[in-house]
Amino acid sequence: MLIRLIVPGEHARVEDLNTSLEAVLTRHGIDAGVRGDVRLIVEELASNAIAYGGVDGNGMGQHELSVNIAIAGDLLTLEFRDEGAPFDPLSTAPPNLEADIMDRPIGGLGLYLIRQIAEETHYRRIDDANLLRVCLRIATPETLS
Amino acid sequence: MSLHIEILPAANGSQRVVLTGRLDTHTYEDLDEKLAPLLNKNLQSLVLDLAALEYISSAGIRSIFKARKALGGHGGKVLVVNPQAQIQKVFDMVKAVPMNEIFSSTAEADAYLFAMQRKVLQGDEED
Repeated sequence: MLIRLIVPGEHARVEDLNTSLEAVLTRHGIDAGVRGDVRLIVEELASNAIAYGGVDGNGMGQHELSVNIAIAGDLLTLEFRDEGAPFDPLSTAPPNLEADIMDRPIGGLGLYLIRQIAEETHYRRIDDANLLRVCLRIATPETLS
Repeated sequence: MSLHIEILPAANGSQRVVLTGRLDTHTYEDLDEKLAPLLNKNLQSLVLDLAALEYISSAGIRSIFKARKALGGHGGKVLVVNPQAQIQKVFDMVKAVPMNEIFSSTAEADAYLFAMQRKVLQGDEED
């Protein structure tokens, strides 16, 4: 199965993307746990791309963010594509989780969460676009029985 | 789906807030706004009841960190009650709240607060 959804790069539309994704995943019997993971990944990536994805490092305006979904065996693969400034979301430094709360920044955890949740991630820059592949392990009828 | 925020009456330096729905990019500013006037020096503990919260993202963690920092300055704490699976998972991944400040029921959190308060009172008597 392959679907492609495109939304303009603005916060208000990210919810539309997530609503569409949720409907598709539910129809394909993906459980609530994985649906929550997908929602989180989409929200974190989209927020990041919208906030920092512009050519000058500012907001990305009307650039489009699209996602392909594929389910094969026990893997769900999401492939995100945006035409913002080159940015590898996997390259950011991990946060220091052991620091005292008074010394911790309140942000910078979104991209880290994606890396933690995903089974596998891969970034490429192709044709002036950022391509990020994120794989999640899903329960199949065989692993459930 | 949005976020519903219910602020219960404060008592003994403790304030309970019940969250229902999703705490994310679209809703965290509402929570920040509602919590801001509560996070003063008289507040020792903010108890977030998350039994009906379905989902949290890093934007929601941001709000919780803001509250933890606001109270941490004067030794106050944010306690969390009954986080659901997705929320517990995110909390664990980023160590959002120390394990011993997460409770499985409000009764458990109340017992902890009562013990904490008694310790403070005993400390005062020794001074």
